[in-house]
Amino acid sequence: MKKILLVDDEDSIHLLYREELEEEGYEVHSALSGEEALGKLKIISPDLVILDINMPGMNGIDALRQIKESNPNLPVILSSAYQEFKQDLSTWASDDYIVKSANLDELKAAVKKHLS
Amino acid sequence: MPELRKDPIIGRWIIISAERGKRPTDFIIEKNSVRGGFCPLCPGNENTTPPEVLSYSNTADRPSNKPGWEIRVVPNKYPALIIEGDLNKEGEGLYDKMNGIGAHEVIIETPDHNETFTHLPPARMIRVFRAYRDRITDLGKDPRFSYVMIFKNYGAAAGASLEHSHSQLIALPILPRMITSELEGSLSYYSYKERCIFCDIIRQEINQKIRLVAQNELFIAIAPYAPRSPFEMWILPKKHSSSYISMDENHFVALSEIFSECMLRLDKCIPNVPYNFVLHSAPLRSDSLSHYHWHFEIMPKLTMIAGFEWGSGFYINPIPPEEAARYLRDAEI
Repeated sequence: MKKILLVDDEDSIHLLYREELEEEGYEVHSALSGEEALGKLKIISPDLVILDINMPGMNGIDALRQIKESNPNLPVILSSAYQEFKQDLSTWASDDYIVKSANLDELKAAVKKHLS
Repeated sequence: MPELRKDPIIGRWIIISAERGKRPTDFIIEKNSVRGGFCPLCPGNENTTPPEVLSYSNTADRPSNKPGWEIRVVPNKYPALIIEGDLNKEGEGLYDKMNGIGAHEVIIETPDHNETFTHLPPARMIRVFRAYRDRITDLGKDPRFSYVMIFKNYGAAAGASLEHSHSQLIALPILPRMITSELEGSLSYYSYKERCIFCDIIRQEINQKIRLVAQNELFIAIAPYAPRSPFEMWILPKKHSSSYISMDENHFVALSEIFSECMLRLDKCIPNVPYNFVLHSAPLRSDSLSHYHWHFEIMPKLTMIAGFEWGSGFYINPIPPEEAARYLRDAEI
């Protein structure tokens, strides 16, 4: 079973995403911050990371740069409520950028693409 | 006494509040924090960017999208406007709209992550300017586009999120308001005096010398009479020319030399100052315009744009351009 590390500081996102992604047959692990995500990478060895940007402490973009520094081939999907972070060229290190929506079809398609 | 000054081209007013008596050393510049970690613009990471649309290399047989480049231009991975599609211009009552068609590209100016544009030697800076020309020329063949805006943000305060030196271009299906204002203002002056206002400015600044920052045989750098920002500089070709892409090789050499000199002078006055620069040139595919004159505008980011500026369109500048020019001229580089 493919493992996904979901990084977001909002519990409601974890509840929603976990349910939908588990239904798709993925094993979902959670982290609530960039720092926690970096710690869990080594323990879980996920196949893909879904990463929020606007988080207290280490934000998603700084976490992305650290993740890609040590795991350049690990797919990372940025998931943010804000379009404007796209203007930050550091987001280019990600493999996809999905704007958060109640409809997860776009996110699920991106996950499927990067895990196939 | 503060002074209100009017930009002679577009009529924008600014306030010189010189009694605040600022010197270059009075500006507190936040040190650029190095974020570290993975950089998508560095050599070896070419697979994290869209395929390059232009590159310059010292190696003749370098494969595309591999290391070994000196300059690399790539489409923006997450562009503000998209290249595919039709404009589909339409009205919605009195409102106008069209599809968000455009090209958004990033010019990676050096393979060295830690090298700043300011410290590129002229012999390498020239490649950046040639890349601008080559991309404008290529995008100008697309009839959907009216204008290519070239700009650079340096430092977080000026909007740069990634420290690896780069500039950007956006090809637009419409003329930006700023360029329209310059075209209208310069045409109005030309209709009245039958002279290019920029050529007149160049003549006056060379004669008066008080706002002159640097000059060489082909270019002049000045602190404009009504600058929005402290230490704002404009670089203009001395010989009348409305379009950047019509520049010959001698001009590229001279442009690189004066640009490098200006950036080093600015850095000497205010080390590591965040800044933006923007290329202003005639619209794509326009014939040579007698009333318009291409130029670069360099704007250090030293003041806040807040309610008054948004509301009035005025800018408050604590350093008169005459003083700024003197500081810049006196800087030892």
